[in-house]
Order: sequence, then C-alpha cells, then structure tokens
Amino acid sequence: MKTPAVIKLVTAGAKDRKQFVAGSAVALIAAAFLLMLPGFAGHATISLFSRIFILAVFGMSYDILRGFTGVINLGHAVFFGSGTYLAGILFLRLDPTPGTLLLAVIVTVVYCSAAAFIMGKIAFRGGGVIACAMITLALGEIVRHLAETWRDVTMGADGLTFPIPYMFRDRLLFYYYALLFLILMVIVLRRFVLSPTGRVLLAIRENEQRAIFLGYNTTTYKMISLQVGGISAGLSGVMFALLTRFANTELLTIQQTLNALLVTIVGGTGTLYGAIVGTAFVQLIQHYLLTLRDVHPVFTRWLLFFGSIYILVVLYMPAGIVGAYRQLADLLSSRNKKKIA
Amino acid sequence: MKPVLKLENISSFIGPFHILQGVSLEVRPGEAVVVLGRNGAGKTTTLRSIMGLVKPAAGVLELEDQSLFGLPSHKIARLGLGYVPEDYGIFNLLSVEENLRLAAWRQDNATKERQEYILQLFPDLKAAYRRLASTLSGGQRQMLSIGRALLNENKVILIDEPSKGLAPIVVEKVCKALLEVKKNTNIILVEQNFNLACAVGDRFYILNDGRTVLDGGIASLAKDRELQKRYLGVVA
Repeated sequence: MKTPAVIKLVTAGAKDRKQFVAGSAVALIAAAFLLMLPGFAGHATISLFSRIFILAVFGMSYDILRGFTGVINLGHAVFFGSGTYLAGILFLRLDPTPGTLLLAVIVTVVYCSAAAFIMGKIAFRGGGVIACAMITLALGEIVRHLAETWRDVTMGADGLTFPIPYMFRDRLLFYYYALLFLILMVIVLRRFVLSPTGRVLLAIRENEQRAIFLGYNTTTYKMISLQVGGISAGLSGVMFALLTRFANTELLTIQQTLNALLVTIVGGTGTLYGAIVGTAFVQLIQHYLLTLRDVHPVFTRWLLFFGSIYILVVLYMPAGIVGAYRQLADLLSSRNKKKIA
Repeated sequence: MKPVLKLENISSFIGPFHILQGVSLEVRPGEAVVVLGRNGAGKTTTLRSIMGLVKPAAGVLELEDQSLFGLPSHKIARLGLGYVPEDYGIFNLLSVEENLRLAAWRQDNATKERQEYILQLFPDLKAAYRRLASTLSGGQRQMLSIGRALLNENKVILIDEPSKGLAPIVVEKVCKALLEVKKNTNIILVEQNFNLACAVGDRFYILNDGRTVLDGGIASLAKDRELQKRYLGVVA
C-alpha cells in the first residue's frame, strides 16, 4: 500500500532511520550548495535563487491551507500582495530604514491576521469546499479592485516603485537574508504542522465530520490554519518587496494564487518541503526556457512547453516530486526488507 | 432512576425525507441499551441525531437534564457523548497512536491510565500502535474506533453496528470488549446481530419506520420468537 507523502512528515512513528539519514544528507548537501552558490554564480542566478526562497515560503503558506487542511483559498494572493504593498507604501512614506522594515513586518502581521479573520468568518460558514473557493476568489478580487482604484496610495495598475533599506540593496547579502528567511519559516511551519493543532488540521483534511464528532470545532481550526497561512504569505510578500522594490496589482490577482497552487501540486501537496522543490522546479524551468528563446524561435512559445511539463508532472507524478521520491524510497525499502526476509 | 440520556418524540429530516417521526428512548445509569429494527428503520439516524450530525427538527433531547437540542456536534461530543460510527470514523492518514492522541481532550494522568486500559482491552492495538490506521484490518479498526471513544470520560457511548462486516471470531472479540466497556460506561448499541445485541444489552428499543414501537428488557425479547420475527425478521 502506498503511504501518503504527508505521513512521512507527520507520523514520527513511521520514520525509517535510513530514510531519515538519507533525508538529512540531502538537506546537508542542499544547504552546502546554497551557501556556496554565490561564490560561483552570477548576479542573475543569485537573484533567481533569492526569488525561489521567497516564493517557496508563499508556496508553503498555501500548502498549510490546501495540503494540510483541505481548504481551497483562491484569494490567497491577497496576503502576499498586501505584504508587498504595505512594505512599499511604508518605505515610500517613511524613511527606508530597518526600523520601517520592522514596522512593515508588524503592520503586515496585523493586517494579514485581520484579513484572514474576516475572510475565514465569511468563507467558513459551512457552504463546503467549492463555496469557500468561490467566496475567497470574490474577496480576493474585491481587494485587487480596491488596490487598483485607490491610486493615491497604490498608484493603481501602474504599480509602485519604492526605495528599500540600505542593508538590503546588496544582492549577494540579500541572497543570504532570503535563505535565512526560508530556513526560519521552514522551522516555524514544520513545528506548526507537527503540533497537536497540525494533527487536527490533517484530521479535518481527511474527514471534517469525523473531527467534529470527536469534539473539535473545525471552523476554529480552519481559522487558525488561515491565520498561519495568511501571515506567512504576508511575510513572504514583505521579502518580495525587498527583492523587487516594486509592487503592482498583479501580485493580488488569482494568477498569483494559482502559481502557489501549482508549485505545491508539482512539488507535492501536504509535504511542506514540496512547495520548496516545486517553486525551484517551476522557477528554474521558466528561467531556462526563457533563455532558450534566444537559441531557437520555437522557444518564444515557452508557455506551451511550460504547460506541457505541468501536465506531465500532474499525470505521472500525482503525489508531486517529493511524494514520488518518498514512494520510490518506500518501494526500495520494502524490497530490501523482502530480500532480507 | 433519572436517565442519563433522554430522547422524547425526536423528529429528524434528511433533505426532504422525514426519517425519524417520533423516536423516544432513554439510557439509565449503568445500562446498555440496544436499538433494534429492520434496515431503514432509522437506527443510524437516531444516533446521528443525538450527536447533532443530523439536526433534529422537534422533540426533547437531554443529557443529564441539559438540552442538546440545537447544539453544534463538537459541543455535544464534549458534553460526554462518544460516537463509534458504522464506518469506524478513524483517520487513515494517522497512526494508531495519533488517532488515540487526537481523540483525547486532555493529556493528564487519568487519560494516560485510560489509554493503558484500552491497550490492555485491545492488545491488537498495542501491537499496531505505530502503524498507519489505513493498514489495520476491519476488526482492528473497530477496536481503534471503540478505544477512541473510551479515551475520554464519556457519559454515554453510541455504537453503530460494531459487528458489521467482521468475521465471527472478530465479532466474538468485539463482544467481549463491549461487555468489558459496559462495566464503566453507558452504551447505546445499534446492532443487526441479534446474538451480540442480546449478549451486551440490558434493555431494547425497536424502531419501525422512524418510530419507537416497542421497548423492554432484552431477556424477554430473547424469549419471544413471535416478536423477533415480526419486527426484526429473526427466523429461528
């Protein structure tokens, strides 16, 4: 029987020592590679990886909702885009100093928490998954429309260019900040999904009614999940502001939410790490296909290739890259056990 | 004796269908009550109505004088009602250990003691403690489901067809476990297996077309072949 990828993360008892060692080795090699990358990579690559780190956190924030709670939030970009906008507006209106950044982080946390509360109160009224998806889509569109029409503050569709604190202007240094941000968020979110609350979320994902008759107010737990996902997305939005120094309403659209959904599907939903792998995969493929545009005119239609790759991954790796890796590891492990037996 | 749980003329709908049209029953302290009836009589809906999973439209529903009417299901559960549904209701994505931990409202010494008791009652669960629930057999799932309901200090446990789909030898194990459970907790047992019902129950209620049509001591029902044949289709 295939073991769902999510179990490997959550069920401590199911941990195989060999797999744990293999996982730790992969993590160490990846960490060593990422730490040394700026030594041999160009500026474009460093910026690309900084982008991957930040968008991976956005992907993980979506995985908390979709992968661990079973909630489809089509307005998730509201949190990400708002984080970028709030940081940009504050940098523009106040001095672009570390103090302003700290203020931006606080304001983003408060704003995302309030937005998640309002969104959850409306979306989790008991209409089911589809109703929740439609309501969050509508709420997301309302926020995007407000941002587009509130030109005095957001500059509407033209977008907002803003300065950032001096210490974040160096691309190389920022690469390490973004990596640190990713590591911190992985630690925090991993602790969250492994906590008793995380287990309840998994139970809700599997069967909400069963969690209810065990005595859990599932709406409250879904609200907690939305809070954690929303605040994480908002913080990744603030980091994105430091990377791009620009915000426009594209960041608030459903396309942005779908990007997060796609990276979690490609990487593996309900795995947390899948969002990181998925983001890296998508960003690197996108970057590679874009560079091939100069090699042959057919690559000007790079979106066609991109779409085909998505379809192949979804068809042949329904558990995503991380899920497929774990299934393969399980298969090899069970074969070894059979041989020994 | 004052009942722990009381249902009086409960009426419930599922969509446009009027399923329960007057179910009345009560569970007195230290009692195992068996709810019997043919398929479609409303037995499962009765349990689901008690748990608030189907909202009753009318009637009286009280747990130790507190009305459960209109309360959300999670609050009803926390007031001391454990539910063991027909499909076991366990979480396949979690291990046995995690299923038990999830069911416990507190992590105090009393809960730990109860967990020890459950693992003694169901040694199969102890052996499969770290395994995923999805890998358990039907009998083990049933044990996990019952064990989960015992983990909290529930006033009444509602058990829906625990013998369904199980091999006779497993049914025997479940029966022994229920007799053990009965010593400490009140039970409402919905069961098609008449022998199991007779072994566990003290009193019975027979439902027919969503109404309580008969009640009494289980011993008298066990003797009355005519009654068994008329309401339950039991052929000697």
